[in-house]
Amino acid sequence: MTEGVTEELKDKILKYLGTVSKAKNRDVARALEIDKAIVDKGIAELAKEDKIEYIYLGTSYIQLKQK
Amino acid sequence: MADNDTPLIDELEKGPWPSYIKEIKRAAKKNAAAKDLLGVQELSFQERITHWKHGGIVGVTGYGAGVIGRYVDAPDKFPAVEMFHTMRINQPAGWFYTTDALRKICDIWEKYGSGLTNFHGSTGDIILLGTNTKSLQPCFDELTEAGFDLGGSGSALRTISCCVGPARCEYSCIDTLDICANLTQEFQDEIHRPRWPYKFKIKISGCPNDGVAAIARADFTIIGTWHDTLRIDQDEVRKYVKNGFDIRGLVTEKCPTKALAWDDKELKLNLRTADCVRCMHCINKMPKALRPGVDRGATILIGGKAPIIKGAYLSWVLVPFMKMEPPYDEAKVLLRKIWEWWDENGRSRERIAELIERMGLKTFLRAVDIKPVPQMVFKPRANPYVFFD
Repeated sequence: MTEGVTEELKDKILKYLGTVSKAKNRDVARALEIDKAIVDKGIAELAKEDKIEYIYLGTSYIQLKQK
Repeated sequence: MADNDTPLIDELEKGPWPSYIKEIKRAAKKNAAAKDLLGVQELSFQERITHWKHGGIVGVTGYGAGVIGRYVDAPDKFPAVEMFHTMRINQPAGWFYTTDALRKICDIWEKYGSGLTNFHGSTGDIILLGTNTKSLQPCFDELTEAGFDLGGSGSALRTISCCVGPARCEYSCIDTLDICANLTQEFQDEIHRPRWPYKFKIKISGCPNDGVAAIARADFTIIGTWHDTLRIDQDEVRKYVKNGFDIRGLVTEKCPTKALAWDDKELKLNLRTADCVRCMHCINKMPKALRPGVDRGATILIGGKAPIIKGAYLSWVLVPFMKMEPPYDEAKVLLRKIWEWWDENGRSRERIAELIERMGLKTFLRAVDIKPVPQMVFKPRANPYVFFD
């Protein structure tokens, strides 16, 4: 696991994404009040685990993986 | 579709220049998507409107960049291009390939895509044009097996590109290829997983001739330069003059700061080093006599871009001279500071130059811990698409 990234952080990110249709990494960091650099790493891990996906609508967003 | 069904795009086959329509027609003989592509283009020409939509959710596992979703808005008419996604593949620094590597890419793309390619896109990537969603992952898997990876797209760090640099050019003041490869490896996460307000581009030119047009195209521009003085071989200068070379008309009078002067009596080219802006004009004109200095590094510029929210910008000087030696920590630290400030303050789709203009250069310099110096000429700046004769 990447330094500074915990399962707890990843759960928080997933929980937040469950409350919105899409978000920028910055929105997640602000909502969770966690350093964005750490949130970026957590989001990258979640992408590799195929739990989130990226969507492009004029700019890039993340969202929960659509099953 | 019959051969005479595309009268408008057929016009593009005429003339002595290469024709992409001719190439797509060749591909259409063995690929249905290429055939429908011709039909879409003809329809667009007839109706003067695009029939392509882009964006949405497409990609490969773990990546948020490198695939651009494209769809035609008339899938009933053109079913073979209902999905026609683009894959961007990170090119090797300086665009050097073996023929074996090129064959591998083409074989993979004929298997999973339309077979149409673009070598290279304006960002520098290998562009593979046209595949469907279900083919993306297996295509990516085979490309990675062959040693390739996706490039950047969306609100990510775009694939870093550079000129051929010291591989072929004696003017190169920095190892553009190594810098490009090193930064690409360092910032893999930033390339593959978009996280910023908008795109960010880094381009590296080995000398002020700026062979990759970094000054007009990159948010973070690295241009090789020298800190000491132009090297002049006076014997070679005299040979130029003796052979009828118009040194005044072609060199000294064209020097933008008049730093060079030709002494008729002494037969000597004199330089006021303090006035030289290292534009390369004199070196380009007299390559046998003039060479860049030996204390070499790079000028870092910020903010080049094409029109999006605001108009086109040329990048302007941020660091007049920076030594560029591995592992390039100074440049990496600066990049991270820039990204942090932009990420915190940038509006959606706002490039770094637009943010600096909105919040002020002073605010930006304070955020990235750089002291103002006279070389940071922000204005006047001109639209890079206006040319002066």
